Amino acid sequence: MTGSNPPDDPNRGYRIGADIGGTFTDVVLVTPDGRSATRKVSSTVDDYSVGIVSGIEEILAELGEPGSTIREIVHGTTVATNVILENKGARTALITTAGFRDVLELRRLRIPELFSLEYTPPPPLVRRRYRLEVSERIDANGVVLTPLDMASADAGFERIAEEGIEAIAICLLNSYRNFDHESQLAEVVRRKFPNLFVSVSSEVLPEIREYERTSTTVINSYVGPTVANYLRSLSSQLQSAQIGAPIRIMQSNGGVMSDAAAAMKPSHIIESGPAAGVVGGAYLARQAGIDNLITFDMGGTTAKASMVEAGEPTLTTEYEVGAGISLSSRLVKGRGHALKLPVIDIAEVGAGGGSIVRIDSGGALKVGPDSAGAFPGPVCYETGGVDPTVTDANVTLGFINPQALAGGVITLNRDKAIESIQKTAAEPFKISALDAAHGVYEIANVSMIRAIKAVTTYRGRDPREFAMLAFGGSGPIHAAGIARSLGIRTVIVPPAPGLFSAFGLLTAAPAYRFVQTLFRKVDNVDIEQLDNAFARLRRTAAESLREQDQDPDLGAWTALADLRYSGQGYELSINFSDDGGITSEGLLQTVKRFHEEHDRTYGHRSDDEPVELVNIRYLVVFPSEEQPASVTEIARTNAEAKRDAYFGPDHGLLSTPVVGRADIGAHPTVGPIIVDEYDATTVVPPDAWIHRDELNNLILTFEEA
Amino acid sequence: MTQRSDIDPVTFEVIQNGLDALVDEMALTVMRTAYSSIVKDALDYSTALCDREGRVIAQGLTIVMHLGSFPSAVASVLRKFEGRIYPEDLYILNDPYTSGGIHLPDVYIIKPIFHSGELEAFVGVVAHQTDIGGLVPGSNATESTEIYQEGLRIPTLKMHERGEPVEAVYDFIQTNVRLPEKVMGDMRAQIAADVTGEIAYLEMADRYGPLTLRRYSNELLDYSERLARVEIEKLPNGRFEYESYIDADNIDSGPVRICAAVIIKGDEITIDLTGSSEQVPAGINSPLPFSSAAAWGAVRLIMDPGIPNATGYQRPIKIVAPEGTVVNPVHPAPCAARGITGFRIMDTVLGALAQAVPDRVPADGEGGNTIISIGGYLEDHTPFAFVDLFAGARGGRPHSDGPDGVPHPASNIACTPVEIAEAEHPVRIERYGLLDDTGGAGKYRGSLAHIRQIKNLSGAARLQLRSDKRAHPPFGLFGGASGRPSMNILQVDGTDTVLPTMTEVEIAAGGVIRHEMASGAGWGNPLEREPSDVLEDVLDDKVSIDSARDMYGVEISGSPLSIDAEATTALRQSMG
Repeated sequence: MTGSNPPDDPNRGYRIGADIGGTFTDVVLVTPDGRSATRKVSSTVDDYSVGIVSGIEEILAELGEPGSTIREIVHGTTVATNVILENKGARTALITTAGFRDVLELRRLRIPELFSLEYTPPPPLVRRRYRLEVSERIDANGVVLTPLDMASADAGFERIAEEGIEAIAICLLNSYRNFDHESQLAEVVRRKFPNLFVSVSSEVLPEIREYERTSTTVINSYVGPTVANYLRSLSSQLQSAQIGAPIRIMQSNGGVMSDAAAAMKPSHIIESGPAAGVVGGAYLARQAGIDNLITFDMGGTTAKASMVEAGEPTLTTEYEVGAGISLSSRLVKGRGHALKLPVIDIAEVGAGGGSIVRIDSGGALKVGPDSAGAFPGPVCYETGGVDPTVTDANVTLGFINPQALAGGVITLNRDKAIESIQKTAAEPFKISALDAAHGVYEIANVSMIRAIKAVTTYRGRDPREFAMLAFGGSGPIHAAGIARSLGIRTVIVPPAPGLFSAFGLLTAAPAYRFVQTLFRKVDNVDIEQLDNAFARLRRTAAESLREQDQDPDLGAWTALADLRYSGQGYELSINFSDDGGITSEGLLQTVKRFHEEHDRTYGHRSDDEPVELVNIRYLVVFPSEEQPASVTEIARTNAEAKRDAYFGPDHGLLSTPVVGRADIGAHPTVGPIIVDEYDATTVVPPDAWIHRDELNNLILTFEEA
Repeated sequence: MTQRSDIDPVTFEVIQNGLDALVDEMALTVMRTAYSSIVKDALDYSTALCDREGRVIAQGLTIVMHLGSFPSAVASVLRKFEGRIYPEDLYILNDPYTSGGIHLPDVYIIKPIFHSGELEAFVGVVAHQTDIGGLVPGSNATESTEIYQEGLRIPTLKMHERGEPVEAVYDFIQTNVRLPEKVMGDMRAQIAADVTGEIAYLEMADRYGPLTLRRYSNELLDYSERLARVEIEKLPNGRFEYESYIDADNIDSGPVRICAAVIIKGDEITIDLTGSSEQVPAGINSPLPFSSAAAWGAVRLIMDPGIPNATGYQRPIKIVAPEGTVVNPVHPAPCAARGITGFRIMDTVLGALAQAVPDRVPADGEGGNTIISIGGYLEDHTPFAFVDLFAGARGGRPHSDGPDGVPHPASNIACTPVEIAEAEHPVRIERYGLLDDTGGAGKYRGSLAHIRQIKNLSGAARLQLRSDKRAHPPFGLFGGASGRPSMNILQVDGTDTVLPTMTEVEIAAGGVIRHEMASGAGWGNPLEREPSDVLEDVLDDKVSIDSARDMYGVEISGSPLSIDAEATTALRQSMG
């Protein structure tokens, strides 16, 4: 899509990370020698690309550099998700096997609310009138039972032509075993409707389970035209600004892909936005020599947690788009639309700075999930909010500087905060406002702890073996309290914690994933057939990579196998030992690792049970262009400032030094200390120590585990 | 309403969250590691943490009907093993008449938790086993006349004693079930979940101290009770009655009656099931813990959903169920298919509540999930059982249509994917979806009926059906039409045979069972339905043009289809 002349010399040229949020678009520019410039601009909701381009132009103007100095733009975008959340996708038609028109609407039946007579599932992305049936049937072994009757599709084709359909999804039963009918149908559809966006399930996700495959394919088509338009608009505006650098888009799985590839496979960039912070965390972990890291990102309405293990983000394929807060979806599914593609496993809870504090009818103190959001906002903002929030509690405690939010742009009314906490949370329990505020702080921590547990203990991991990376506007305020409760010994607060996701974009490597369902017992696997299957998947993958302008030979290929005990419903993805080709020995090793991983994740193994191979996969990672910079410009406070801060009944109200990041030295200093920065506050309680490492990260440690 | 003075509100919230996370984590462990479709796909299991007296403190809910069934199971452990409960023991049970079970396929595996040598709590998982022996594959027989025909009765036994597996128990179970691999796999998943729960509880006990944890557990019970009383207080006082029927076309005595009187007085409710039929010689007798769960569940549906799943909320809800009836049977009444009766109890209580809170209760739905089991032996004599649960037609609601594809509130199950069914079992699903033009008419329409058509690809096998709502279709409310009755048709060699709602027959090789569930009933007068909503339904083939005219008084014609406003007004006047 783009392609004029970026600087060829990798030592020259700037790299741009552009991360879009609901309110702000963050743009960061990094120079080859590791300096950086940042811009926060208002998001331009009608066309987000406008905000990005103006942010880049502002930075360039400040530096006095032309657009041609930019070598690469990496972009995290919520455009695909928003299309689904706002129900504004393409008018999409779905072609299914006769007799299965309603698979998309019936989903997996189960609803996410147990005691509800009011619940209504989200409307299907394709209305029933546009779900068209075609006469054909393939069985579970891939054998054709009913040949594809192309004439049976004619009425449907007519409807597509008449009704202004903009995109088509094709998903036939058992096509993961045999995609002949889908291919034949796709060929005709693409010929008949050359201008429509067409997605075919065997191309998008050749994996067993018809609802999940149909839903994923439909999502691809539903968001397709919007994403393609958006990327075209971004590209052309950049061209107009004389910026010809290639655009890379962050995928939900943490890799980046070209804008051309993203336009073809938009379902891969659904969770593009939240992925960047985790990828940045993984990079930081590798850089700092930390294997295991929990990323913790707390903003205004929600908090997100994810796990980096052995320097890599962890993925899930149980994701739902538009499900809202995703912690509950792990157990109680059905709130969103199933997306079976690998997505970084992020747990989200409704606890943020804006979460509302209340007393329920049973007399218990509750925090969230309702949020005052940016409007009416916390009481102390004086923008109309009347219910106390977590931010009001943090202001009451003295954690947040009422004068210094966003560098002094916003002033907060501390008295109002205290008054609201006093009335709602202190009086009913006959305690002080400080104790009540501290209670709110702790209760907010508890729900964030659940998010962290969802990505660690629920997967059999012990959080005590992890360091925690805290970012987002409110993350570093709560990090120490959360880490303490979980027994985490180290907390890292990166430079510019509020812009961390934008920096994270610049650390991602291009990565692509391919899957094929095989479905057989490991004991019955014919090794030659398996070798052929891997070879076939490799060929398809290479072809797809070339289509996306990647040279397959430059990538690092990892073979994986999804295994489970015969009859189980969920698989574990295990690296397949393919040194020297696909061999019986390699298969044996893979199965051995599966037993170990099952034991680690679920606490038991059964070596005598037959093991089933469900899918084979390839992960192809391309070397990333260069090492990104660390932020070198950091602030120092001018005056010796102090603020009273309340650290709970055990420590009481303490006169606490307030410093800038640069004031923190390389040797640990004991708390209490508060580090005030432009976009975030780091709270160091009295029993924690803080120092700054050579990458300018703040490191909090605790005396005992 | 306030908390006690020795309860710190923050600690309370922290502990409650920790306990909820604990039972959820147990539930996830089961889901990810179970072997049978009924557990891993349909999620027919629940997890619980009980205090040392067996009261439920937290329940990882996947199935409402398991709510409140744990206390009787743990009570049987306490009763039988008093003085002999040791760390690392594991207890197993399923029998309703000796051990607090709810029918034989639902097997409980319970583990005691000790801290500093003291018994502190129990964790438990109840899971519906794919087979537990007995008359038919899948063990959901409706034909049995006494419980001895229903499979392996497990009185409360030690499955492990002080960490040592009791080999005899394992051997007995493996030998008496048709699919030992799946059953033992699911039981391993249950045990793994118990261990997960125990670890999490011990961590909390270490952190807060076991006695503090006890005190807060008690407060959680009181707290859930307070919340329930607040909700009940808001309801109008009075006595509200309803009755409905199970077809029970498999027994001579005919339809089974369920009666419910809901008596609301202040902040307490009594649900009196007196008047329900005597127990029957068929597998639809519902043991008391199960009947109670159904009644409690109905009341919970009109309460704040945020009330914790601790048994305290049941304190202000009294259940009366005379012994010897289908809602409280005595030995040896069979009960394999008692799910039907549980669903009907919930529906009947809701029917009574609709009179008390007409703006909160929907019209009747499909009546709970159908179970179709096809089982037998493959050519190499290995046994198989395909146990298919499906559901999903709710009635019209006081403010909106019955949602399509949402299961009965008592059994929030997931369906087994067609492709999984076909890859793992000798069956082919020939059709699965909604049946056009079947939703009960109303101002708010009931959801469309589901159809599932399954072909037997093995040799001759046994077909077991557990369904309902043919002679007694779903009831409409406030002028809404009834739902469409259910239907079972067996197709063999081009010959169609209508089968009863509950039956057990042979299905020949290549035979096809076509099951049409009942549809949701309507809520309110269909003539008051917005004509534009009727048009949308017609465009989506959910309502036919004829039904639009005949049921809703809306004339739709032309190309593209549109509402003929004049004709509609005239028609509605003549019909009204």
